[in-house]
Amino acid sequence: MAQSVTTTLYDPAFEHDSCGFGLVAQIDGHASAWVVDTAFEALAKLSHRGGVNADGISGDGCGVLIHTPAPWLRALAKEADIPVAERFAAGLVFLDPAGSNATAVLEQYIVEEGLSVAGWRELTVNADACGPMAFSSCPRMHQVFVNVGDGMDDEKFERALFRARRRAETALAEDAQFYVVTLSAHVIGYKAMAAPGRLRDVFDDLRHPALVSDAVVFHQRFSTNTSPQWRLAQPFRLLAHNGEINTIRGNRRWMQAREAILHSPLVDLSDIGPLVRQTGSDSESLDNALEVLLAGGLDMLTAMRVLVPPAYAAREDMDEDLAAFYEYYALHMEPWDGPAGLVMCGSHYAACALDRNGLRPARWALSDDNHLIVASEAGLWDVSASKVVGKGRLGPGQMLAVDFRAGKLLFDADIDAINRKRAPFQQWLREGITYLESDLIDPSLAAEPLPANELHRWQKLYGLSREERETVLKVLAETEAEPTGSMGDDTPVAAMSRQVRPLFDRFREGFAQVTNPPIDPLRELLVMSLMTQIGAEGNIFELSAKNAKQILLNSPICSQRKLRQILALPQYVKGTVQVDLCYPVSEGLEAALRRFCREAEEGVRAGAGMVFITDRYPNKKTLPAHALLAVGAIHAHLTESGLRCQCNLLVETATARDAHQFACLIGFGATAIYPWLAYQSLFELGRDGHIHRGDSNQREIGRSYRRGIRKGLLKILSKMGISTVAGYRGAQLFEIIGLAPEVVALCFPGTPSRVGGAGFAELQNDQRLLAAEAWNEAKPLHAGGLYKFVYGGEYHMYNPDVIDTLQHAVRTGEMADYRRYAQQVDSRPPSALRDLLLPHGIGEPIPLDEVEPVEAILKRFDSAGMSLGALSPEAHEALATAMNRLGGRSNSGEGGEDPARYGTERMSKIKQVASGRFGVTPTYLINAEVLQIKIAQGAKPGEGGQLPGHKVDETIARLRFAKPGIGLISPPPHHDIYSIEDLAQLIHDLKEVNPTALISVKLVSHAGVGTVAAGVVKAGADLITISGHDGGTGASPLTSIKYAGTPWELGMAEVQQTLRRNGLRGRVRLQTDGGLKTGLDVIKAAMLGAESYGFGTGPMVALGCKYLRICHLNNCATGVATQNERLRKDHFIGLPQMVMNYFRFVAEDVRLHMAALGVRSLGELVGRSDLLTQAEGSTAVQRQLDLSPLISNDGLGVDVDSACVMARNPMRDPAALASRISADADEAVTSGQSATFNYAIANTDRAIGARLSGDIARLYGDHGMDATPIILKLDGAAGQSLGAWNAGGVQIELTGEANDGVGKGMTGGRIIVRPPPESPFASQDASILGNTCLYGATGGELFAAGRAGERFGVRNSGALAVIEGAGDHCCEYMTGGVVAVLGACGLNFGAGMTGGFAYVLDLQRTFVDCYNHELVDIVRISPEGMENYMQHLRGLIAQHAEHTGSAWAKHLLGDFRGLLQRFWLVKPKAASLAALADELRRAA
Amino acid sequence: MSHKLFRFMDLPRQPPRTVPVAIRVLGYGEISGDFASTDASTQAGRCIDCGNPYCENACPVHNYIPNWLKLVEEGRLFEAATLMHETNPLPEICGRVCPQDRLCEGACTLEQGDFGAVTIGSIERSITDEAFRQGWRPDMSHVVESGQRVAVVGAGPAGLACADRLRRAGIAADVFDRQREIGGLLTFGIPPFKLDKGVVRTRRDVLEGMGVQFHLGVEIGRDIAFEQLLADYDAVFIGTGAYTFVNGQLPGAELDGVHYALPFLIANVDRLIDEQPVPAALDLNGKHVVVLGGGDTGMDCNRTAIRLGAASVTCVYRRDEMSMPGSRREVGSSRDEGVQFLFNRQPTALIGEDNKVRAVQVVTTELVDDGKGGVQLRNVEGSEKELLADVVIQAFGFRASPPAWCDAYGIERDRSGRILAGHDGRLPFQTSHPKVFAGGDNMRGADLVVRAVYDGREAASSIALLFQQPHFAEDALQIGVV
Repeated sequence: MAQSVTTTLYDPAFEHDSCGFGLVAQIDGHASAWVVDTAFEALAKLSHRGGVNADGISGDGCGVLIHTPAPWLRALAKEADIPVAERFAAGLVFLDPAGSNATAVLEQYIVEEGLSVAGWRELTVNADACGPMAFSSCPRMHQVFVNVGDGMDDEKFERALFRARRRAETALAEDAQFYVVTLSAHVIGYKAMAAPGRLRDVFDDLRHPALVSDAVVFHQRFSTNTSPQWRLAQPFRLLAHNGEINTIRGNRRWMQAREAILHSPLVDLSDIGPLVRQTGSDSESLDNALEVLLAGGLDMLTAMRVLVPPAYAAREDMDEDLAAFYEYYALHMEPWDGPAGLVMCGSHYAACALDRNGLRPARWALSDDNHLIVASEAGLWDVSASKVVGKGRLGPGQMLAVDFRAGKLLFDADIDAINRKRAPFQQWLREGITYLESDLIDPSLAAEPLPANELHRWQKLYGLSREERETVLKVLAETEAEPTGSMGDDTPVAAMSRQVRPLFDRFREGFAQVTNPPIDPLRELLVMSLMTQIGAEGNIFELSAKNAKQILLNSPICSQRKLRQILALPQYVKGTVQVDLCYPVSEGLEAALRRFCREAEEGVRAGAGMVFITDRYPNKKTLPAHALLAVGAIHAHLTESGLRCQCNLLVETATARDAHQFACLIGFGATAIYPWLAYQSLFELGRDGHIHRGDSNQREIGRSYRRGIRKGLLKILSKMGISTVAGYRGAQLFEIIGLAPEVVALCFPGTPSRVGGAGFAELQNDQRLLAAEAWNEAKPLHAGGLYKFVYGGEYHMYNPDVIDTLQHAVRTGEMADYRRYAQQVDSRPPSALRDLLLPHGIGEPIPLDEVEPVEAILKRFDSAGMSLGALSPEAHEALATAMNRLGGRSNSGEGGEDPARYGTERMSKIKQVASGRFGVTPTYLINAEVLQIKIAQGAKPGEGGQLPGHKVDETIARLRFAKPGIGLISPPPHHDIYSIEDLAQLIHDLKEVNPTALISVKLVSHAGVGTVAAGVVKAGADLITISGHDGGTGASPLTSIKYAGTPWELGMAEVQQTLRRNGLRGRVRLQTDGGLKTGLDVIKAAMLGAESYGFGTGPMVALGCKYLRICHLNNCATGVATQNERLRKDHFIGLPQMVMNYFRFVAEDVRLHMAALGVRSLGELVGRSDLLTQAEGSTAVQRQLDLSPLISNDGLGVDVDSACVMARNPMRDPAALASRISADADEAVTSGQSATFNYAIANTDRAIGARLSGDIARLYGDHGMDATPIILKLDGAAGQSLGAWNAGGVQIELTGEANDGVGKGMTGGRIIVRPPPESPFASQDASILGNTCLYGATGGELFAAGRAGERFGVRNSGALAVIEGAGDHCCEYMTGGVVAVLGACGLNFGAGMTGGFAYVLDLQRTFVDCYNHELVDIVRISPEGMENYMQHLRGLIAQHAEHTGSAWAKHLLGDFRGLLQRFWLVKPKAASLAALADELRRAA
Repeated sequence: MSHKLFRFMDLPRQPPRTVPVAIRVLGYGEISGDFASTDASTQAGRCIDCGNPYCENACPVHNYIPNWLKLVEEGRLFEAATLMHETNPLPEICGRVCPQDRLCEGACTLEQGDFGAVTIGSIERSITDEAFRQGWRPDMSHVVESGQRVAVVGAGPAGLACADRLRRAGIAADVFDRQREIGGLLTFGIPPFKLDKGVVRTRRDVLEGMGVQFHLGVEIGRDIAFEQLLADYDAVFIGTGAYTFVNGQLPGAELDGVHYALPFLIANVDRLIDEQPVPAALDLNGKHVVVLGGGDTGMDCNRTAIRLGAASVTCVYRRDEMSMPGSRREVGSSRDEGVQFLFNRQPTALIGEDNKVRAVQVVTTELVDDGKGGVQLRNVEGSEKELLADVVIQAFGFRASPPAWCDAYGIERDRSGRILAGHDGRLPFQTSHPKVFAGGDNMRGADLVVRAVYDGREAASSIALLFQQPHFAEDALQIGVV
């Protein structure tokens, strides 16, 4: 489908979806109505994981895939008088209601494939079952019956159907309505835009008495858009997907590139059109890929593992044959990476698989009559406890399959056993793979340093400034890590700059927010890989030794030695085509790039396996084409020509110096890079003694630099949620700001670039200017000025003059002084995009006194989230006081808040809930008017943070429930938000604990943020903040400050347009922040759609901040951003009055503008982008920018709200049980008496306990009812977030099982979970809790008789827990509390754990391989000298036995002395055993 | 926690010691001493390397101050000297004569935050001196001679800066000055206790080493016709300074014992260079001296008068101390050396006897509302008073004094006589005659040395641009290069 040309920023390509899914199967193959009924009932119980549209009824879509439907279909055919053969297939087809020839075309291809059409029947869709929005877009539905061709076996029949369908799809590509749901003899799909509970009502077929099956896959969708699209409902032809494929753009391009080399003897793939869809749903493309692999001859167990492999590379415990299986296939297929829970059903298998990160839940249960259910949640089927013989969950990278032919359930290990025996992979690899060893010393290959003057010439030619040399290169080589900075980016985006900026500056990195999670590349390194292969890709369908001939590099950044080794390999000595990027000036840049493409193509066609792209040899008569332009163009061209998989792109370039620049090159197709100028520059620095790193030789400097770059690359990959560089290569995960369409089309096709910018002429001119400098030997290296202000360098929006005038104004309080400041800002050289947008009046100017008063405007002002920790307490409180006095709101930031401030004018009305969950207790949450979920922050979206130990003083430690002096880590993702329905869940949890608070979600601007925002509105948020890329205090890697996120103007406009298009705008209030400085900024933000405005740096400057950019060093000389006592006491001069002056000035400034514009209230301007016009720019590139997509109202309609009209976004979930509990317990709570209540509970009852905790905290604080608990006895399967924000005085006893998020944010009380007493399984073998339990808990106790999922106790800072087994990443980022695991643990135990301790029972003796060695030690508990621990542990097990009745705990107690040696004590390296023991004694 | 991060708190600002007053007033040596061996680097280590380098922003030549402070801290003397020269052709001079307290050091975050500024000026001075002592010289090895030639008229700070940059760009520079030594005011106006004449001589050596040709004792328009320069050279830079002093229009200015600041200062330097004794006109032994004016020149006069043996020196300024235009440091030195200050006094007449000055009549001033939201200075009626004086030195400032031949060659000037340069359609510092450039005091009026240095530096860039293709000159004006 051609992408529609859009005149606004909204683009359907950005849509995301996510959801709940499941599979019900009978392993022995007995079809039954029970299986079908159970599937539909389970689907209905997942409605909270789906989205509902603006009409309140139409769902985002749901569907089923039914296995072995033949008897039922035969009955349907018979009723329609269609004569079907003994073996037949059927399929559902969506058709244009206006009529088309699609059925005839499909029929024609069916016949061409040697099959025959038995007949067609039309399906009726029951309108009232799917809602008016859905019904209005409902396609016409026909069912086709196809008889098997002569002599065809099942496999051939299936392949013929596949070909017929694909060919018809290609032929009918223009028919947007034509869509084949499925066409198969083994499965049939039905799907609709209906709420999950109503799917069966939509189609009469689904209530037909003959409907029986042995396996049904079901899916409920939550989409970020609302325009109904029936075809996007899942399952697709084979699978249903919960999550997101982060690497999708790369995967699609590589599949396209692969078309030329994929050949299967079983099926002709040459004429079936694109192997995978290049647009639309990522899940659908994955489904396409799986189909192709199956058609080509792989079986599902192999195909799935090839597409979505586990993290095999870092797993030392993996069987070598199995690892070889993965490695072999990795040579031919990059992973389809992302949070993925997948259920699928083909002819022979039904299966469920998780991606390597295991971020989507998948719980299974098995009954004694061999029925299996796997689904997003536990508790979806109605089978009595005594019949359930096993319960479990899929771990990261695991797969579970039902083999229908064998009637067997295959667990992960069974599947591995099958796969590894398929071929002698290990032997093939041993013989085929060449590892390039970097340690082979060969003197002839040592680097030759350039003479100084030549080096300086090239530095100038390639725009390397002294600043970059010192701030970036030197730091990388010294610290092996990226440099850190503070205070965000206040320079113009490259497109607005008046300087020659590196081309890379026009590329903004993508990052995960809401719809997928970023990864922590440090603490979860095991899933990451930079392994890079060199060699032609083989045909995946051909299982052979020759396909294993490859060269492997451990990273795509080459040393000179490695580069030469590669080029000296026999296959490349003659098989290399060299592209010299230095072109004659007369040729012109564009012509040169086209020539490069031709040269590469001709070379590869002539047999070259290597395209060597170099800018190493410039001369005075040439200009170098930028390596990124060339790589992008050549990669795209070779992909189009079907040649890309036969060669590699090796780039020798001066342009790549920092991690972002490497990421750009790789993201647009480079295989490996040799950064010659970076090495040469480092060599000089080292030789001249500028690099301080102890004793080191030159070779070490290069290696250190590479290590630094590798870390940076991993960070860039991980913030997009991508694990491997193979998945990142060619994935184009950037948004371009500032390149003309001609450049994008030739070099970066398909990458979003929405405002135009520099064309080839401007780019060439930039290079000409650099060349003039370069060849003028007398000119020194440019000083720089991109990171810090340098006079005459890049413009800085907070330059010294701006700071000085602002500080002067807030101290004098004189409007005239403010005007001088505003004048500086408003008349600066155009720097932000908004500087090119000029507001126009609604009418004639009006007198100032007719404009609404300052107070009305001040209500719209918030201070941006800045944590105590970043700011000094004095600054933090001054800010809060000022905002409260003004009637605006201050934002606590993520560091908790001193309870002493609650209820005073020093309290922050906005309380932030961020990924670290520091100090988030029920009392914190109820003392807020707004609860803000910080998904991302402008300075470093997609990344976590770290508060170094030296900044954690007594106060900070107390508020964050940590220990002074111990560093604290904020994870990159919220571990309870991996996708959009998770966000809905967190919003629900927060609304439960504080029903009066408004929920705000903070996002960062990037292409696609509009659809994310639409999802966020559907998830229930009342407010959304769109931050620009420029914001941010605190420490952040420089490349993140510089390259991630986009200006808020783009994000705000896109959100406004997308929400309006989807009819959601009226449900949410929008805010923007990012460099707002004056009233004019506010006016423009309002016109682009914001009704509220956040200010971060402005008020800080008012308080004395001088923009020193040393916040991360704790030595802020102004006392604003430091915890140093002397600096705070003697040098902090800020007063609330200064902040108040600032905001009053801005508000008054807004009024003046309003008077001039003829507007009486600011509300009148919200969303009036029609009042903005684009001004002529002041540079050639600025004049080429087209900002009309920002201000266009095309296609949005006039009747659609353009501002918020609802006080709050109505809650969808009635939360009946929570309400009942709250009402039942009201009397006891009010009187502070203990009481006990009994309830049945189901998975749809979510966040049970949260509302009660809020009720209690409001009256008694976090622990006021500790002694008189309200006891809730629950029976059944609890929904997500059981006992969230649990306050002291809430005791939950659940008999049954629980889902994800048990005890998240718990601060007191107790949660007990035990299996029903009649359960036949052993508790220590079965799953009883879902993922991320006790996330951010600060206290309380949890006892669960069974195994927990992944990330148990993540960021726990005080809770005590006993469980009987855990998944991966247990106790991650833990800073306090105690966790006892009475059974096996998964991988990566204790990653980032800096406090608290744990006991782990290690009966299998595998724990040594499972824990993360970075920060924790493990110690045997011996009876001698460790009595404290021994008694403590025994006490915990005894309590566990008492609370849960666990037989396993009783068994352990019975043989405690004997088993003691099997326990490990896990403690942070920084904590001493004695100190911990001391604490134990005190606690006892 | 790194000690380095908090050095600005833990280590106080410590400029080098100055020569004790009792000793310094006996002679004309520089009063500021050098840093003890490692002090410069420790003091440099106090810099916190702000995200906004306020020092650099306030510096008229925008020295890369934090960057060279770091090099100094690391003991990289030559690299620091090289980097200092990148923005400032005369760092040792600016380090001595700049009013740092109003520029870099005044803007220093540490000064603003009450920690005491980094001793930027002293470091700049002592590092350059030391680099010279150790043999550092500008690296001219990569300079390619372009064949073009430029005449520089005036060997003051503007002319010297211009010549330095021209040479670095491979352009021949011939510098003409009517005086017998280079430096202009640096040599003849600024007293040696602020700027030792040996410093200028060293600079002359350095510049000559770079290939600058000096033609001294040559006055353009008298010894060589300006037309000749236009004919012989590809471009001309005029940096002839501001020597026309502002006349206070005081009655009695013709009396004996009344001096104008500049002739007074020059006369003293002149005789010091020649190692001559004090002539009668300058002999202030036992005399009561009144200096009128509160600028840096006034301070120079004050302190010179002290050294010439005055019995008392009183400095009269019409506003209050806060409003004084000159460097605080110079006011402080004056005070240290025994100068009395009288603020809020306006001189109204010089009173004489026997054609010889006897007293200065002054009137007290006050600030009053000017009715337009500002304030103005007003004389308080009836507050006239006589101030006894044997010698009066008028230091009311200077005006540009461009050479008379400017007009003849179409080099436009503004109403106060300053050469117009860099106006519409011109390169920066290009006058209305396309081959002629100008900068420094003859373009600005009397101003700081460092601004003259800036002008000379930038004028040389413009000249270099002019010599390249015209279209490139235009581009470079529009867009900077990172």
